[in-house]
Amino acid sequence: MNCPRCDPPDNAALEAPSTRTKRWALVGGPNTGKSSLINALAGSQLSVGNWPGTTLERLSARLDLGPTQVELVDLPGTYSLLATSPEEALVARELLQHPPDLVLNVLDAGNLERSLVLTLELMELGLPMVLVVNLLDEAEAKGLKIDLEALEEALGLPVAGTVASRGQVAAVLPKAKEARIPSPKVRYPEPLEKAVDHLAPWIPNRGLALLALMGEENLPLSQEALEAVQRARESLKRMGHDPYLLALEGRYQKAREVYERAVHRQGSPAPLTERLDRLVLHPLLGLPLFLLALFLTFRFTFALSAPWVDFIGRTQEVLAGWSGALPLPPLLRSFLAEGLVAGVGTVLAFTPILFLLYLALAFLELSGFLARMAFVADRAMQWAGLPGKAFIPLVLGFGCNVPAIYATRALSHPLDRLRVALAIPFLACGARLPVFTLFAFVFFPQQAPLVVFGLYLLGLLVGLLTAFLLGRVLRADRGEGAMELPPYRFPPLRLLLRLSSARTGSFVQGAGGPILLAVLAIWGLLHIPLLGQSPYALLAQGLTPLFRPLGVEDWRLVGALIPGFVAKEVVVGTLGVSFLGGETLAPMGLWEGLRNLGEGLVQATQGTLQGLTSLLTVNLSLTPEPTPLQAALKEAASPSGALAYLVFVLLYTPCVSTLAALRQVVGPRWSALAVGYQLSVAYLLALLAHRVVP
Amino acid sequence: MLSLAQLSPGHRARILQIPPEKKRLLALGLRPGAVVEILLKAPLGDPLEVRAGEAYLLVRRAEAKGILVEALSVAEPHELPPVRPTR
Repeated sequence: MNCPRCDPPDNAALEAPSTRTKRWALVGGPNTGKSSLINALAGSQLSVGNWPGTTLERLSARLDLGPTQVELVDLPGTYSLLATSPEEALVARELLQHPPDLVLNVLDAGNLERSLVLTLELMELGLPMVLVVNLLDEAEAKGLKIDLEALEEALGLPVAGTVASRGQVAAVLPKAKEARIPSPKVRYPEPLEKAVDHLAPWIPNRGLALLALMGEENLPLSQEALEAVQRARESLKRMGHDPYLLALEGRYQKAREVYERAVHRQGSPAPLTERLDRLVLHPLLGLPLFLLALFLTFRFTFALSAPWVDFIGRTQEVLAGWSGALPLPPLLRSFLAEGLVAGVGTVLAFTPILFLLYLALAFLELSGFLARMAFVADRAMQWAGLPGKAFIPLVLGFGCNVPAIYATRALSHPLDRLRVALAIPFLACGARLPVFTLFAFVFFPQQAPLVVFGLYLLGLLVGLLTAFLLGRVLRADRGEGAMELPPYRFPPLRLLLRLSSARTGSFVQGAGGPILLAVLAIWGLLHIPLLGQSPYALLAQGLTPLFRPLGVEDWRLVGALIPGFVAKEVVVGTLGVSFLGGETLAPMGLWEGLRNLGEGLVQATQGTLQGLTSLLTVNLSLTPEPTPLQAALKEAASPSGALAYLVFVLLYTPCVSTLAALRQVVGPRWSALAVGYQLSVAYLLALLAHRVVP
Repeated sequence: MLSLAQLSPGHRARILQIPPEKKRLLALGLRPGAVVEILLKAPLGDPLEVRAGEAYLLVRRAEAKGILVEALSVAEPHELPPVRPTR
């Protein structure tokens, strides 16, 4: 493995025409506008995914510079290379183990002093660097004037000034050509300098020696070097020094010097952020404002996406109708219509929801509101051991579990992400409501609303308890007791749109395949005969004894749980088919289909506009179900069995799409464990429910 | 000596001591010698919003209890940190 310090990259390589793709890494503090910068530099090329081997988001873009192709990689925001969170560990790992060809260090012009502390640390790595001082407009609004030339002089590095949110980034590429390997500028307090010198025989590189002394454990060092570090640390401690505090002292002092040379204050206007915060974080008004913002996010996502989900459903019907008219064997027609089209439709039906959710979340996050919501909700969430930000994905889970699981990505700590993501599948999403209402009205006509409400509450409780217990089991020192409040900003619409489309695209790529496969598998189970019988009936009858202790004895009820694994929407439909007989595929002509699609498009547009105007209203329509099915169901189960069935439907794996989302967010191992856990919890609580009702 | 948690909004303080293992607090700018100002308390009294230099930080009570400070004067509204006058 080549080490960046022992073997520094050749600076001339930056200039040399080459067909190899260069990697430029954007490194900087959180909220310094790295995403805006990447977007302004590379525009539509934005893509998101996960860092290899982790579930942390990776934002990157391609840049075509004539003969050279550049991959711009956005590293997570960090305050220091010494990791205090998994994100920061990733930054250090990337820079040390896969050194980029160029480091674009992004600084916040409005908070230059602290940004410089990271810069001084990065300069010790020996990688070619350019400084990008972003958010010059905000600094100006604060009455700060940044002298970029003085900064170049003080640090000996090229400096570009930008306002990335307005696309003012022209200075970056010319400055990148001047990139050079910096010479470290910090003179540390004597005891620390001595310790670094003392380590020189083992660790000739200053930056690495400092990181080691400060306590970073994951460094590419020999056993001998590690022992020397240990001795040096102990001797410093004996003298009453903490290496980390000494290093910070040195860096802050140097940062202050540079700051005073390069920053001039002109007047002192009161920061807008502080004045707005007095309202948003008001002791009394804060909570209602927070709930309103939460409600608006929920409404925006689900009210505006509903017409488009309907439109996708309609397109699916038309395509199914067309395949019904094809001159093909019935089994093949059914495969096209109910397997392939339905599978692709299931994946696509999530895209409007996810796109709008990502839009709302990106707005909340980049504008600075998400951090404030976390502030307000923090105390209330502490009893479940969760950070305040966890509130948002939990609430979204009542609409649809899939976007809610993706929304956990806004949580900074992976452990929190895992806990909330595993809690969400228990929250009663919209698709479970038709099953609830159907059974509640058949079996508990008097207390139906109470039963439905109770199920929602049960889901929430099981979810929170899951998060709480996981926090107990996976106890780790997370140092989450503090965070930074970013200033209020108006995020550029183009960045919001590009980020949301890139994230939605990542869902289709990552989750699309598994969902499609599952839909096809269920189609096969329902349609391909096995030993002269439907494998669906065979499987359902085979599973029925398992459900007898729950009071569910009819195989048709048990069977409906199998396609319910694909999507809860189909449970009621499957019950209808298996209790009342199937429907046949209605063929559709070309013109009829096109007219149908046109109408659907008009309706979706109208629906979106209506949704926009009625963001603040609530619509609690319950789907009425056909009475023949109600009558048939009444014969098939007892009230206690029905309640157990409902509890099971509430708590077992909501759908394959949720599973695909979990897989992307928490990884395959945890999602497999989650399915087992969900099935066991569902079974146990259903068993309990069966005993509750006489 | 006081802890940061004992101060009310409007108070300023200089940090005297902070456990060196609180690396995140230190990285955020809550280091010995730094002057901070308490800006707000959240609706349920926890966390606190403090300003350290140009940064606005949220600190949970539990963390604030471990940060020892000396109280300075009550801050003027919107007072900014001292900066050398313009050249």
